[in-house]
Amino acid sequence: MPEIRNFTLNFGPAHPAAHGVLRLVLEMDGEVIQRADPHIGLLHRGTEKLAESKPYNQSIGYMDRLDYVSMMCNEHGYVLALEKMLGIEAPIRAQYIRTMFDEITRILNHLLWIGAHALDVGAMTMFLYAFREREDLMDVYEAVSGARLHATYYRPGGVYRDLPDVMPLHEKSRWHSDADIERLNQTRSGSVLDFIEDFTNRFPKCVDEYETLLTDNRIWKQRLVDIGIVSPERALQLGLTGAMLRGSGVEWDLRKKQPYAMYDQVDFDIPVGKNGDSYDRYLVRIEEFRQSNRIIKQCVDWLRKNPGPVMHADHKITPPKREDMKGDMEALIHHFKLATEGYCLPEGEAYAAIEHPKGEFGCYIVSDGANKPYRLKIRAPGFAHMSAMDELTKGHMLADVVTIIGTMDIVFGEVDR
Amino acid sequence: MSNTDKQFVTITINDKEIEAVPGSMLIDVADKSDIHIPRFCYHKKLSVAANCRMCLVDVEKAPKPLPACATPVNEGMVVWTKSERALTAQKDTMEFLLINHPLDCPICDQGGECELQDLSMEFGSGTSNFHEMKRVVVDKDIGELVATEMTRCIQCTRCVRFGEEIAGMREMGATGRGDRMEIGTFVEKSLDSEISGNIIDICPVGALTAKPSRYHSRAWEMMQTPSIASHDCVGSNVKLHTFKKKLVRVIAAENEDINECWISDRDRFSYQGVYADDRVEKPMIKYNGIWKEVDWSTALDRTVEKLTEVSAKDIAVLASARATLEELYLLQKSMRSIGVANIDHRLRQVDFNDQESSGAYPSLGMKIADIENLDSILLVGSNVRKEQPMINQRIRKAALNGAKIMCVNPLELDFNYDVDAQRVSNPVEMIKTLAIIAKASYILSKTEIPAGLNDLFTSVRLNKADKVFAENLIASKNSAVFLGSISMQHPGYSTLRALSKAIAGNTGSTLAYLSGASNSAGAWLAGVVPHQKEAGQKADIIGKNAGEMLSKTKKVYMLLDLELERDSDNPQQAKAAMNQADTIIAVTPYANKTLLSLADIILPSAAYAETSGTYVNAEGTWQSFKAAAKSYGEARPAWKILRVLGNKLDVKGFDYVSSKDVRNELQGLCENVNNENPVSVEGIYTKLDDVTSQSLYRIGNVGEFSGDSLVRRATALQKSNPEQNAVQLNAKQAALLGLKDLPTVDNEHAEKEVMVDVKQGEVVVSMPLLINDNIPDKCALLASGTKSSSLLGSAFGEIEITA
Amino acid sequence: MIRSIKHFIKSFTLFELFQGLGVTGKYLFKRKVTIQYPEQKTPMSPRFRGHHALRRYPNGQERCIACKLCEAVCPALAIDIEMEERADGTRRTTKYDIDFFKCIYCGFCEEACPVDAIVETHIFEYHFEERGKNIITKEELLAFGDKHESEIAKRKAADAPYK
Repeated sequence: MPEIRNFTLNFGPAHPAAHGVLRLVLEMDGEVIQRADPHIGLLHRGTEKLAESKPYNQSIGYMDRLDYVSMMCNEHGYVLALEKMLGIEAPIRAQYIRTMFDEITRILNHLLWIGAHALDVGAMTMFLYAFREREDLMDVYEAVSGARLHATYYRPGGVYRDLPDVMPLHEKSRWHSDADIERLNQTRSGSVLDFIEDFTNRFPKCVDEYETLLTDNRIWKQRLVDIGIVSPERALQLGLTGAMLRGSGVEWDLRKKQPYAMYDQVDFDIPVGKNGDSYDRYLVRIEEFRQSNRIIKQCVDWLRKNPGPVMHADHKITPPKREDMKGDMEALIHHFKLATEGYCLPEGEAYAAIEHPKGEFGCYIVSDGANKPYRLKIRAPGFAHMSAMDELTKGHMLADVVTIIGTMDIVFGEVDR
Repeated sequence: MSNTDKQFVTITINDKEIEAVPGSMLIDVADKSDIHIPRFCYHKKLSVAANCRMCLVDVEKAPKPLPACATPVNEGMVVWTKSERALTAQKDTMEFLLINHPLDCPICDQGGECELQDLSMEFGSGTSNFHEMKRVVVDKDIGELVATEMTRCIQCTRCVRFGEEIAGMREMGATGRGDRMEIGTFVEKSLDSEISGNIIDICPVGALTAKPSRYHSRAWEMMQTPSIASHDCVGSNVKLHTFKKKLVRVIAAENEDINECWISDRDRFSYQGVYADDRVEKPMIKYNGIWKEVDWSTALDRTVEKLTEVSAKDIAVLASARATLEELYLLQKSMRSIGVANIDHRLRQVDFNDQESSGAYPSLGMKIADIENLDSILLVGSNVRKEQPMINQRIRKAALNGAKIMCVNPLELDFNYDVDAQRVSNPVEMIKTLAIIAKASYILSKTEIPAGLNDLFTSVRLNKADKVFAENLIASKNSAVFLGSISMQHPGYSTLRALSKAIAGNTGSTLAYLSGASNSAGAWLAGVVPHQKEAGQKADIIGKNAGEMLSKTKKVYMLLDLELERDSDNPQQAKAAMNQADTIIAVTPYANKTLLSLADIILPSAAYAETSGTYVNAEGTWQSFKAAAKSYGEARPAWKILRVLGNKLDVKGFDYVSSKDVRNELQGLCENVNNENPVSVEGIYTKLDDVTSQSLYRIGNVGEFSGDSLVRRATALQKSNPEQNAVQLNAKQAALLGLKDLPTVDNEHAEKEVMVDVKQGEVVVSMPLLINDNIPDKCALLASGTKSSSLLGSAFGEIEITA
Repeated sequence: MIRSIKHFIKSFTLFELFQGLGVTGKYLFKRKVTIQYPEQKTPMSPRFRGHHALRRYPNGQERCIACKLCEAVCPALAIDIEMEERADGTRRTTKYDIDFFKCIYCGFCEEACPVDAIVETHIFEYHFEERGKNIITKEELLAFGDKHESEIAKRKAADAPYK
């Protein structure tokens, strides 16, 4: 009798649905997954180790590059840990800016997720629509930080610069008539806050469109419903966080449970799922679009009314204003020392976590009193999700692996670090 | 009972109970217990000035904060260094200090290692309240070594106090009051002290920085490697700073036993020589008079060939006493194993009589730190201030403690302490002068005069005043006779040594050798002397000494880091010998024109800071160091070259992996070295011809910055001391030549330069003339090791000067 | 009951699929949001961090004083500076290299520069054709600054109040 053996299949690391560089070794019995073994490390850059050799501030830019679709949220986790160690708090305006940008980032992340997830599952158009909205938000990113992705905008003690009063405008070109340009610039004529507000007004309709395309769509449902079910107990045991956990019906959100920044000052709800399958997680994230939008609106409102400093005034930690630096001895010395040596953290350790679009993102810093961390540990939500891969895919068909990767919202930057 | 009667008082600093010696300053006590109090003007080696007010601390029951550096501790004192009152006081002080400080940080070399920056970050405010104009102070030019930016000065007066208290020269001073107070040299002049570079280290701000390394690199990008200075027998501890693996700066390292926290300018600035233009990049062989660059194996094969094709008797091996212990040992071991007995490092020595009875190595006979406890000191032929500045530092301390300092020298030297008795006579007479003192010591100690000295002693007359030398030495509990490098170069060295030994023996003093180079002691221990193998063992065959090797030509010469025309006593003779030799193999980092014209094989070795190794200093301490900089081109550390050479010569036991292996082997052998100094006083009297009336006698001690190949290439040091290249006479002697109103060493008539012709042997060299009235009649000071003297003859001999 | 009938009709008529098609169909007739790059470009903030440049004072003197703050603050160690004392006693660079492969465009160098010498400009379209050309030298950076000075000055002035 011929021996029947399982078939081992390499999924990725160059598979378009592998979300970067996931290499999944699948043991298949025919079409059915017997075991899924995710191999990680192909995008390992040693962020944690690199941080050990740099003054604290110099690692902010590397945080952007962890989960490179939710840049400012990563920064937030890091600077929060630093602030906790330093015992300082950013000015309230900076806190609001952070809250707003965390939510902008959440929308950015979810837009990319829904586009990629739908594309993986078979819905091409979603991708285009999602990226159309992302474009506006990335313009906001660029307007405040100077970069569309890797912002390096949050600093311990606040944010680098206040929001600009003008939004950059479209310039004339032979592709567009003057009337076109005027129309394109219509939303940009005010400040950044105006632009964001305009976006928040437009966005709910866009979410409606996504839902029209997907929520009831039979193919979408056939591919998502009852795929990758996690029970609430298992979800907790597996260390799942974010939508992966809330999709299973556990109402856990750090923004509510351990409020940071200004989350205790804004109104929003936490959506939870029921069945813990991919479809519920989809619904949770769609609702998060709307809730984030709501938070942004409130932040815009507050920020409009309350001007103020966006950086802590203690120049032992935050560099002085440029103008002061050029005319004031103390300011120059502090600027010089902060640029060359940075500041020292007191001896000790701290963990700070935020509700990242993907789950709980935390930074654990151990300081020996020097100007660089003795050890930095990053708790990336994707890593825990990735570890649940085997359990989630077991018994499913090969095509469902793609759905499960999509629903996990894996980004390899943070998994491999 | 007053507090001072008790041995300890108990004080409380920041709620911590501390025992302290009564009367000691609060800041000292705090430092010892690791409690940091900010300070600018306080320096543990300098007197207390208490003028910066940065160290204000809160003392219980005191109406206002007190300066910790000027507050003696009392029983039951309660101090807070971090209380609000203390911190406010410090913050306010900081603000005042910064009022007039220019916004120079970005262009200031001190930036990043600046105490003002550090304390401003730690104790100062983040912003300034001062919006008025800042003052500006005009810069001073104080020479080639120290760059000034006096606007940055915060008037801590550390440099002023250093000059007064340590260097013994009031070079810097404060003029003006209030915010018009300025620090500067009183008259526009260059710093002259041999340790002036230390003001760079102690300046807390960027007012005084090192000129040679100005704008080279930032403090944070330099790598620091502890090392040992290589220019005198002290072995000062230094820190080498490298930028991109290139040596850019040297600063002092602390070692209380050796150099405290100071180093000489020579040790600080000689690093420039490492990157001289004539560094050798690749091994070279001369074929028919034309140099060709070859690879290492070709060069070494050729070396082996040349060494083996002649009889071992015809090989002469000469090494620099600046080479590391490892290099010297490997050289000695490999050469002796192929039968070469002619091996020496004493190129400046002339008189080799009695070498067998001179002990295992020239030693100080005491710890360097103990010098400051001596009660009387006799210096015999030693310009200790320039030759071993750090030893001089200890002698100065002893002098300030009341020790009697006496000296016998061929010229009157400038010491930075009072000399109680001195005898200056021309070099020939110097032996007699010392003989008088020795005679007095025999008489006073009621010791029988040995027969060998009778002749000498009967030829001299003892005056009453001459007894003071021996009297002082006998009267002191701790006394020493220092035999300096001038004596060692002296043609009557063995006599001087025997007399010194006799004086030391009769008066119960220690005889201390102040040998010329950094590793003289190491060279002896490594066996680089013709009569001794490693660790002081007697050699099987006694070879020729350096003098004999150079006066009678050998066929093959092997030179280790030497420039014979500047490193030997008699350049003319050395060059003549080289010219006649068949093959000259030079292991050297540098190849100057003379070497290129004379040598046949050049093996480029790593220069100072590019090799690991060990120096044995005068007190016998072995100090190892690691390489700090990347070696130049294909140059290799000399110990590696010699190891491979040993392998190629099939020498047994040459499997060393690191210089540490070599050192450990030698250290094992040296464990039981007996350094008894059985100098015999019998029959050592060297008869020197009296100076004839027509000619002058040359005093040719080594110039301050011309002792070795490295320092000779240090451009800033060379520029800072032009005197060493001049011939110096006293005014009377110059008048005999028909010259008047000449420039002097004290910078009078400095505007004019007078050139004279100096003739020694057959060669006439034109060089500038300076007047120095410290030189006795019939003598001329003409330093050896300098460029101009490299054409002349013996360092001590007759010369003629014509205008 | 009604729900299941509704559901039956909806699935039978492919209702939700047509609804989706309606959304996409609507966009078929809408104005395109596409930007015709490179002829047309998206708006750019004055804070944009692109290609570096070294600036000069209006009198032509280099601004850079070789203080090395940018080199120290650079997280990626992309900047390499060597310096000297010029004949007039000023402190200037002899080498100012930026390795554009290492650079992460965080903008810290510009933040650290006390004299506004090193700046990140609005130029983001550049490429290298040869290995080694990714290291931009001081001369190239100065030339780049000279070429775009007016635009750089305008952009830096626009953002100055926020810094």
